[in-house]
Amino acid sequence: MTNNSIVKSAVLMVVIVLGCVAAYEALLRSQGVPVSFDDSSALWANSRESAIENQENTVVFVGSSRIKYDLDIPTWKARTGLGAVQLAHVGSNPVPMLEDLANDAEFKGNLVVDVTEPLFFSSLPFMLEKPESGIKYYHDRTLAQRASFELNYYMESGFVFLDKDNLSMNARLDRLRLPNREGVFSFPIFPAEFALTRFDRQTGMTERFVGDTSQVNVVRNIWAGMLKGNMGPPMTEAQIAAVIRKVRKSTDKIRSRGGRVIFVRTPSSGPFLQGETMGFPREKYWDKLLEGTQCPGIHFSDHAALSGFMCPEFSHLTPSDARKFTAGLVDILQQMQFIPVQKRLLTNI
Amino acid sequence: MVFNSYTFLVFFAIMLVLHYLPFSWKTKKINLLVGSYLFYAAWNPPFVLLLWLSTIIDFFVGRRLYNEENKARKKLLLVISLIGNLGMLCFFKYGEFLLDNFVSVVNMFGMDFHPADPGIILPAGISFYTFTTLCYTIDMYRKESEPVKSLLDFSLFVTFFPHLVAGPIVRPPQLVPQFEHPKLATRKQFFDGLLLLSLGLFMKIVVADSLLADTANLVFNAPMPLAALDSWTGVMAFSGQIFMDFAGYSTCAIGVAMCFGFSLPQNFNNPYAAIGFSDFWRRWHITLSAWLRDYLYIPLGGNKNGKTRMYMALMITMLLGGLWHGASWTFVAWGGLHGLYLWMEKFLSEKRKSKGLPPVKKTGFVGFSLAMLTFLLVCVTWVFFRADTFGKAGMMLLSMTGFFGDEGFMMLSTLAILKVAVVVPCILIFQWMMRNRQVTEEAYRLSWWKLGVAWSFLVLMIVWAQESGSAFIYFQF
Repeated sequence: MTNNSIVKSAVLMVVIVLGCVAAYEALLRSQGVPVSFDDSSALWANSRESAIENQENTVVFVGSSRIKYDLDIPTWKARTGLGAVQLAHVGSNPVPMLEDLANDAEFKGNLVVDVTEPLFFSSLPFMLEKPESGIKYYHDRTLAQRASFELNYYMESGFVFLDKDNLSMNARLDRLRLPNREGVFSFPIFPAEFALTRFDRQTGMTERFVGDTSQVNVVRNIWAGMLKGNMGPPMTEAQIAAVIRKVRKSTDKIRSRGGRVIFVRTPSSGPFLQGETMGFPREKYWDKLLEGTQCPGIHFSDHAALSGFMCPEFSHLTPSDARKFTAGLVDILQQMQFIPVQKRLLTNI
Repeated sequence: MVFNSYTFLVFFAIMLVLHYLPFSWKTKKINLLVGSYLFYAAWNPPFVLLLWLSTIIDFFVGRRLYNEENKARKKLLLVISLIGNLGMLCFFKYGEFLLDNFVSVVNMFGMDFHPADPGIILPAGISFYTFTTLCYTIDMYRKESEPVKSLLDFSLFVTFFPHLVAGPIVRPPQLVPQFEHPKLATRKQFFDGLLLLSLGLFMKIVVADSLLADTANLVFNAPMPLAALDSWTGVMAFSGQIFMDFAGYSTCAIGVAMCFGFSLPQNFNNPYAAIGFSDFWRRWHITLSAWLRDYLYIPLGGNKNGKTRMYMALMITMLLGGLWHGASWTFVAWGGLHGLYLWMEKFLSEKRKSKGLPPVKKTGFVGFSLAMLTFLLVCVTWVFFRADTFGKAGMMLLSMTGFFGDEGFMMLSTLAILKVAVVVPCILIFQWMMRNRQVTEEAYRLSWWKLGVAWSFLVLMIVWAQESGSAFIYFQF
């Protein structure tokens, strides 16, 4: 091969790569696949940074997947005039995030803590993985990582195929769903249209997913499998008390700096709700949490505006229900004077 | 800044444009130097001060060392340089390790001593640039090469961004002369560089990060005993990951430098096709092996002062080589195990020689079998390299023997096992086939369109993998 030949090879490479990428992107767009951001530690760290900016006009949310689906940020902004910083992580215990904010002397804002009892009162290591890696990333971030994040934002905003959770090589290989040896635990593979993430970290299912019973059933079966699976023995009274003491320490720290904390139990329905009610009775967990931390709380079942929703796969709200739920939540938070009514009135004017 | 990030691609493009604009050679070198400092500062800006300190001390001390005739003063200057370089390395890399060991010893004698956490942050690549500057002053002391005339050239030699953070560890005669005269890449060099950069990124992003890292991490982070299949799969995954990660970095570094017209020394030469451990160390992290040979093993006596001295020098070199990798006794054990392997190999080859037998055949089935045996023994050493503690390493080795039977936890999915079962044998077969050949030479044997298609495959896989920004394993060393 001559020296000129390598130039020809390079040109051919560029043509093939650009052609394949353009064709793949066009195919995905023709199928109506929307843009979805990688819900990575970098994205979390970006939101975490916002938690200490403009705190007077922002409310921070920590929790698990439910608040990521159930809080509709545009509705929140329109009805409150306040910003919303979403720090929740799917399938995770939010306590490390609460502790991280409590240990940050700069954080003096308002915090909503979403409680999904099986996750909140769990010590399983994998439920701590995402929050802990996000926190570590945030505190250790380098200038180069910040710059890469900014560039990545433009790339991910512009290209549908850049969706690591659903379209990357590993995501595609995972979808082969090869049977495992008996007893091997593997993380469930959700349908792609069940979990799309926006830049503000709000997660949602598509309308197409909601209307597709077979996809909804896939997720229902995943929950059923998880509920049947071994999630470790239930916590003893002493362990529950220890969790609440740990949480109290964090809420006290935030409140001592002038911040405010409120717990929110987001809706679930069907067998999921039944299982949670049986496994995590309200008086033993939720009531004890509020009593132990001396923080206010909003349980969806106590408020007409927050109950009566039917989660299609029993655990998360549809985008349209999320808008209604958020509107109801805003009203209650305003009644409880957790967020000012004034802001809403000013915005509406 | 890591090669596998968007930031680097933008930085690289800007540096190339600046390098190919019609500036004077001095301006181009200043551009490269400033760019290299920016590249390093993107991790932690204050640590650039350490680079400056190391550069300034060694430039001036090196020159004095070369010209000094008084032996006592010469030795004093060498000691100053060693204290400056090794002192910095000891403080940042081994400070906490030394303190922990001191506390353990003191507590063993009944004293209840618990110092506060010193919270020392390890500057990226400190082990690499310390060795780069150290060899310069030692060479000046020995008068083995001429002192570098300009501070700009010396600074660029220390800081040139492709090799700064994880090697290849360069010697002054390998790089400094390239800075003395205007240099631009030829068309062949430039495109070879891009090809190598693509190959290096493929090795890192697709193979190491996407296909192997999760399995290795899952297995080595498991707190419980594992089934034999899971533990072997994890160890194999790490063996593949560490090679693809580090060799991928070196390939990127060589490719990037080539795009500017500079050549860096080769750092890997199909190490998993090595037959025996001397061969392995001639193929794995070649620039470090050569450094340890020239600046540690030979000064310790090498093989010119009798067998006992040679065996001792070999073991000390391997133990310190292990410690160079990380401030932990597990790394020392890793080095020690390699030292033992080398001892055994030397002993067996001498015994064979004394019996008048010919050297072992290194081709065909015998050669391949010996290479596989070497690889399996190397895999065992990786357990100490990857495990955080001896407890974990011991548990992993027992798991690999099947000691725990049905009690061993099965944690890996079928897909994870399949990925390792396909990727690792592919690496081994590829390396065996390429044992005495070079990638770029083989690429040139292909027709232009075949190379174009192969190159497209590498890039498309990188794009599809969608893994970016994860640090290279060797950055922590």
